[in-house]
Amino acid sequence: MKTKNSENYTKWQKSFEQETKIDLSEASSDTDEGIKIKPVYTKADIENLSFVDNDSLPGQLPYTRGPKASMYTNRPWTIRQYAGFSTAEESNEFYKKNLKSGQKGLSVAFDLPTHRGYDSDDDLVMGDVGKAGVAIDTVEDMKILFNDIPLDQMSVSMTMNGAVLPVLSSFVVAGEEQNVNKNLLSGTIQNDILKEFMVRNTYIYPPDPSMKIVADIIEFTSKEMPKFNSISISGYHMQEAGADNVLELAYTLADGMEYVRAALSKGLDIDDFAPRLSFFFAIGTDFFMEIAKLRAARTLWYKIMKDFGAKNEKSMILRTHCQTSGVSLTEKDPYNNIIRTSYEALSAILGGTQSLHTNSFDEAIALPTDESARIARNTQLILQNETGVTNTVDPLAGSYFIESLTDELSKKAWEIIEEIESLGGMTKAVKAGVPKLKIEESATKKQAKVDSGSRVVVGVNKFKNPKEPQVDVRVIDNNKVRDDQIKKINDIKASRDQKAVDESLAKLVSAAKEDSNLLACSIDAIKNRATVGEVSKALEQVYGRHFATSLSVSGVYGKHFEGDKNYMNVAKKVNTFEEENGRRPRVLIVKMGQDGHDRGAKIVATSFADMGFDVDMGPLFQSPKDVAKDAIENDVHAIGVSTLAAGHKTLVPELMKSLKKIDPNSKIVVFVGGVIPEQDYDFLYENNISAIFGPGSNIIESAETVIDLISDKIHKNN
Amino acid sequence: MQLVEKIVKGERAAIAKAITLVESSKENDKKESRRLISELLNKPGKSIRIGFSGPPGVGKSTFIESFGRYLVEKNYKLGILAIDPSSQITGGSILGDKTRMIEISKNPNTFIRSTPSRGSLGGISLGTREASIILDAAGYDFIFIETVGVGQSETMATNLVDIFSLIVGPGSGDELQGIKKGITEYADIFIVNKNDGDLKSEASKTASDYKSAISYYKKSSDVAEKEVLLVSAIEQTGMEKVIETIQNIVTQNKKNKNFDERRAKQFTYWIEEEVREIIQFSIQNKIKEDGSISKFSQKVMNGEIQMFDAIEAITQNLQNK
Ligand code: B12
Ligand SMILES: Nc1nc2c(ncn2[C@@H]2O[C@H](COP(=O)(O)OP(=O)(O)O)[C@@H](O)[C@H]2O)c(=O)[nH]1
Ligand SMILES: [Mg+2]
Repeated sequence: MKTKNSENYTKWQKSFEQETKIDLSEASSDTDEGIKIKPVYTKADIENLSFVDNDSLPGQLPYTRGPKASMYTNRPWTIRQYAGFSTAEESNEFYKKNLKSGQKGLSVAFDLPTHRGYDSDDDLVMGDVGKAGVAIDTVEDMKILFNDIPLDQMSVSMTMNGAVLPVLSSFVVAGEEQNVNKNLLSGTIQNDILKEFMVRNTYIYPPDPSMKIVADIIEFTSKEMPKFNSISISGYHMQEAGADNVLELAYTLADGMEYVRAALSKGLDIDDFAPRLSFFFAIGTDFFMEIAKLRAARTLWYKIMKDFGAKNEKSMILRTHCQTSGVSLTEKDPYNNIIRTSYEALSAILGGTQSLHTNSFDEAIALPTDESARIARNTQLILQNETGVTNTVDPLAGSYFIESLTDELSKKAWEIIEEIESLGGMTKAVKAGVPKLKIEESATKKQAKVDSGSRVVVGVNKFKNPKEPQVDVRVIDNNKVRDDQIKKINDIKASRDQKAVDESLAKLVSAAKEDSNLLACSIDAIKNRATVGEVSKALEQVYGRHFATSLSVSGVYGKHFEGDKNYMNVAKKVNTFEEENGRRPRVLIVKMGQDGHDRGAKIVATSFADMGFDVDMGPLFQSPKDVAKDAIENDVHAIGVSTLAAGHKTLVPELMKSLKKIDPNSKIVVFVGGVIPEQDYDFLYENNISAIFGPGSNIIESAETVIDLISDKIHKNN
Repeated sequence: MQLVEKIVKGERAAIAKAITLVESSKENDKKESRRLISELLNKPGKSIRIGFSGPPGVGKSTFIESFGRYLVEKNYKLGILAIDPSSQITGGSILGDKTRMIEISKNPNTFIRSTPSRGSLGGISLGTREASIILDAAGYDFIFIETVGVGQSETMATNLVDIFSLIVGPGSGDELQGIKKGITEYADIFIVNKNDGDLKSEASKTASDYKSAISYYKKSSDVAEKEVLLVSAIEQTGMEKVIETIQNIVTQNKKNKNFDERRAKQFTYWIEEEVREIIQFSIQNKIKEDGSISKFSQKVMNGEIQMFDAIEAITQNLQNK
């Protein structure tokens, strides 16, 4: 039967094929998720959908169109900028300034020592104090952080996972000492440990005790802190680590299911805690996909919670925070990042987020300056006040494309979720390392697309700016921050009641052994002025510290370059090198200090191996001394330091010293990759660094530079 | 030779460079390597060389970390040679074993060297034997050699180590049927790893499977008895038993001369191998220079001469050169 529709479609197809000279069946674009995006969508595409209900409205099941009926028409999303650096004093000033300029909620970024449960005076964290977030050693720091910020009125989000017990405890005690009872505290603690093992790398204990801690916190907050979100189940970090949207969606929801089970195992009723579960997603550059992802997430969570037997409607509604993608932002031509961030923010809003962080344009250079943070915040203020996007709820509903994409994403994610469930759930999968490997594979593919030019990044692999602008960077003097923190720690240790500290820590240890709730004990210890490090170490006695074993993908990068001239050129150089030297060029790639950004290191390692290098992969969290021993014992030609968390000015000179100490004649070439402001280049060159590879470096070109540098060095020595 | 002295003194960089030399595929390096090794053989140390083999993922590296931690606490010096499988497609490799040896790699009493397996499919790589001589001269008490794969057991046991141990995982008992013979013959110790958590009962079952498998093995009175041990590398349990067993085997085999005999056999085999390699290399060069093979084969094709006669003529020719 010929309907008017199908007649029109046939006519359209003919015109399309005439205009493009491409057969319609060949004209789809492939996304990273393996979804084929068609040139046109019609009504037919939204008939018979599996998950989406075309008739539902905002605030109605399955909540595809938003958690609330009125959404932004009643109250716009919360502008919640993630920030923190140096000392509590400095961060507090920064927060207060931002709140005055229109920011609505706080979101605290802690430094890496705090994340990993080390005090600022610990030798292991020499290069990391105050560098990538704010240093918190005791409750006194926490009190300073919220000085003049009333905790019964301000909702505070805290990104804390590893050292979640002492840090949440400090927050509770800081509130108490501001005369705010814990049942009035509002905000969110991230408390999502599974994704730490997958991608974020600030775990402390092994998976099983870590999951127990998560459950303890859900249990405690559900009883004592009714306005506080006990967890923020995060896919954001997965996408930033390289996951495509289907992986992000599926793994996040599967993590959520695991946390629900953990809480249920404590004997809680699902409706007692489920309304306080919150989510966190990344919003990348794939404009429509990201909108569909948020809609799909709500749709699937509804289904999941209904299957768990939730009765309360609030238990089935997914509420989420979003952050625009940092990894989409470039070091090159950085003002372009303002534009990218604007579009990503719009995606998040059209997807119906509850709160949003927008990145600063200097994202790939350093922590934001006051100026770049202002522009980032204004991006949201402009959207809220000037564009009219708040006037209509879920304005893209009914779009053939968006609805069909929402359904397709849901389907693909559901397949993965079912697979994980059939294998025993996410904790098991995480222990086996499979999700991490899948994400790394996806990240490697993305890198290959950019390096081969099949994916355009403006200003990086096309349309380059011949005159790169110089931008100001925020400089943090970590030695000063460290000295200040050590002084504060020493003062507190001198004035506290040591006996009370020891007793409360001993109690914590026995609570861990007896498997009773740890948060209450930890609050006592913190109240007695135990440090974050002391609380963490006490539990470490019982649980041990976790060391990740990492797997590596192989052949994924190389596959994209079959027959590529530059790639083959490097591979040939490697072979010639082997003939001349009796072995392949051997490079040790390392991460030093507490910096857990391993995406770049892993991608570079697998790509170099694909090109024929022998690559030694160091574990995370090495000290410069360990790296030197490793490098010399394996007689590597070169060390590649991957550094993103701003520890390079401390750690790289340390490494050079350690090398010379073991082998005064060491001929090892050292180069550095990662986030390094241009202002630091000379410093590194003066420390005998042979080359620096910043964000956006093409890996094939980097490999060629590396092998040339190694060969030069060998020839010079002969 | 200065290098020798530095090695004997235990200088880390010198040991490392020497291992690079013995692993090198360059002809010149090979000569130098032989000279170095001959000198080092005059300065033997006291190392016990132990092989740890087993399929990928059973926890060999984790076990070495765990057992190694136990040993360095007792002040033993530990040399580790970990052979990592190279990628077959590109020839490059990612050497990741050390990410499982985090604690011991920091210890000043360890020396850990990873080596890509190259073509040898995860087995013993070029230079492993020589590398263990270097570590022996440098004064390491134990030398651990980690290799992938069960199929390597024979070469490993007969060529390289004083004690050969096979690490297996829980549930691997089923595979025993097919490989019983080789295993019972060559392995001195069977270590069933992952004896922890949910896997405990499976691990015990696997251990008894192995025990009954080796009971078929005809025990000759003068060789130390084979042992099956249960460990958890992650929880660091069963380690005393491992060192005890190792020490027993060493004592017993030393007493009944088995230890020295094994080393003597390995030595003879090694020399034979070296001689064979040198001859093969020189023959290959001769063949290349001589060019008579292609000449004669053309004649055979043309029917000018019979194949058998051609072969005789070519060999005669080469031998006279
Ligand atoms: C992705 C990302 C994350 C992911 C990391 C996932 C992972 N497993 O790696 C997540 C979301 C988990 C994360 C978390 C944090 N992050 Co982050 N993150 C980034 C981001 C957006 C991109 C980094 C990246 O992976 N890029 C893609 C890879 C492929 O690029 P790359 O690593 O730069 O590598 C390339 C080159 O540099 C070079 N290269 C790098 N290494 C090597 C090595 C060799 C041998 C060679 C040859 C070349 C080479 O070649 C590569 C290919 O081009 C950067 C900002 C940015 N745009 O760079 C911030 C950034 C690094 N993060 C930052 C911070 C502060 C954090 C946190 C500490 C925040 C907090 N306080 O909690 C946390 C903690 C993480 C931790 N454990 O350390 C800051 C660091 C500030 C600074 N340097 O001053 C940055 C710069 C953002 C910012 N401006 O604030 N982050
Ligand atoms: N449960 C358990 N897992 C282990 C144990 N030892 C190793 N593993 C895990 O097994 C995997 C492989 O370990 P690895 O040492 O790399 O194995 P290899 O390939 O044999 O060297 C890793 O995920 C380890 O964490 C153990 O004793 N118990
Ligand atoms: Mg291994």
